[in-house]
Amino acid sequence: MNDKITLSARDLSAGYGSRIVLSDINFDLAEGRIISLIGPNGSGKSTLLKTLMGDLAPLKGNVLLGDRDLGELTRSEIAKAMAVMMTGNIRPEWMTCREMVASGRYPYTGLLGKLRAADDEAVDGAMELTGTSDLSSLYITEISDGQRQRVLLAKAICQEPDILILDEPTTFLDIRYKLEFLNLLRLLAEKQHVTILMSLHELELVRLVSDRVICLKDGHMDADGGTEVLNDVYLRKLYGIGENEFPGYRII
Amino acid sequence: MTLPICTKSGNDGDCAQEINSCIVFGYRCIDMRENKRLLTSFILLAAMLVLLFVLNVANGSRAVAIADIPAILMGSGGGTAHSIIWSIRLPRIVTAMILGGALAVSGFLLQTFFNNPIAGPFILGISSGSKLAVALVMIFSLGAGLHLGSFAMVLAAFAGAMAVTGFILAASQQVHRMSVLIICGVMVGYICSAITEIVVTFADDSNIVNLHNWSLGTFSGSTWSDVASAGSVVALAVTAAFLLSKPIGAYQLGESAAGSLGVNVLRLRIAVILLSSVLSAVVTAFAGPVSFVGVAVPHLIRNLMKTQRPIVMIPACFLGGAVFCLFSDLIARTLFAPTELSISTVTAVFGAPCVIWIMMTRNKRPI
Repeated sequence: MNDKITLSARDLSAGYGSRIVLSDINFDLAEGRIISLIGPNGSGKSTLLKTLMGDLAPLKGNVLLGDRDLGELTRSEIAKAMAVMMTGNIRPEWMTCREMVASGRYPYTGLLGKLRAADDEAVDGAMELTGTSDLSSLYITEISDGQRQRVLLAKAICQEPDILILDEPTTFLDIRYKLEFLNLLRLLAEKQHVTILMSLHELELVRLVSDRVICLKDGHMDADGGTEVLNDVYLRKLYGIGENEFPGYRII
Repeated sequence: MTLPICTKSGNDGDCAQEINSCIVFGYRCIDMRENKRLLTSFILLAAMLVLLFVLNVANGSRAVAIADIPAILMGSGGGTAHSIIWSIRLPRIVTAMILGGALAVSGFLLQTFFNNPIAGPFILGISSGSKLAVALVMIFSLGAGLHLGSFAMVLAAFAGAMAVTGFILAASQQVHRMSVLIICGVMVGYICSAITEIVVTFADDSNIVNLHNWSLGTFSGSTWSDVASAGSVVALAVTAAFLLSKPIGAYQLGESAAGSLGVNVLRLRIAVILLSSVLSAVVTAFAGPVSFVGVAVPHLIRNLMKTQRPIVMIPACFLGGAVFCLFSDLIARTLFAPTELSISTVTAVFGAPCVIWIMMTRNKRPI
């Protein structure tokens, strides 16, 4: 396969100041794939995502967007190539869902943020795709968590990114919304060829949705492969659950 | 195993006609009601401004018939009424409008910056810091026989504002609970006010009466040159804030979200804090500390307009602040005439309940 590579890490070390959290991270992510990032708490998932999205500068090595180093790109160039959906719980008052979605057009609008016809089309398209058109004029504070996650996804979609990074996107959702949400990601990857990289705790869902799984443990890549890595023996090792602990319990 | 793909059919576009027909401030709105609400709100604010302007011109120790006002404003007709209006009332009215607007915009910027609906220049102690710095500079310069111009006062006020803002920022790094931050600000405000009181009490000068009045907050004694100096600084700062509407709007989604949309968050934070400090410093330099306008007006405007878009909020807050201060100054001047109330007394009566209102309606989540 010679799929286009959209996001790469090269000998990446990441952390905060002198504290190295992650080291020797290497991967190339191809367009249209869903890559899940798993690993125990504290294994460096969030640090890796923050470094990839440019929130943290790499301590060593590089992050490449396509073939260009993240550090050489302007903020606007990065925002056009990569959208991020974090699990914050920010709920601005008096902001309608459509305004929230439209904020994804930020990198494309002019000085005062006026939406042009093309921007409106992108917003409408993203809302239709995520099934949030009906919510347009409702305020963010009025909708449920499940609806809000879809609105946030619509915002990321209308940013028209090549890469979408999500941190625990299913946290607030019940199982139905979880499945619907992952279904949307699948759609986005297959129809719009977006590279999707997300951290996810629910291993069953990881198996359901991922093309590729990257496992982090103690700040390094412990495994990188298809969903076949998600077997009970390996996962017990990854999460440090001994063979005799919780006998009879199958992680997956 | 992967999930099957299912595409939901979206809306069938029955509201498409309505959608394309309305544009306000460059935003297409889904809902005609919102457009009407914004327009009505702006007309309402403008009408209140005109009404209060007329009432302020007409009322005072020497009443002027409303019917005579147009002629006097057009410049015709001499006499005492003409000179009272042109040399006393008009500069005061215009100063109150400019400074009221500045305070409201400053409050809006601080609320955005701290993501806290009850942040404001007075509550966070920024006004009091300015007050202390100006009082010290005034007393020192009077003692040394210097007469410093209004820009020197603005600079002193700005220095005081930045000192307190720096402290609040440092505190906000330590504690993330907004209520603690607010209490810090209130306490710093008390400390600065107490020192100002001491300094003013022991100042030995014939200007002490003026200094005392000023330190309580008043628009009285404003001149056209005040209007020119305050107006030029406020115009620049408010325009700059308006031009930052787009990144400020993204910042309302949270720092990380703003960063991922391409906002230079650090630079924006610096710009917002500088602009809000300049605005509140100008007010303190010319009118002394004026309480609660910065908190109450943005809150009232948000509830009136039902939006938080900075591109609407900044001009609307300016207008609302002007209305609020004209209204308060009218009461301050006329309620117990010839005795004048300090402006803060009046703004507190109307502004402080707003803070309580915000706290009561916000108790669902910790502030």
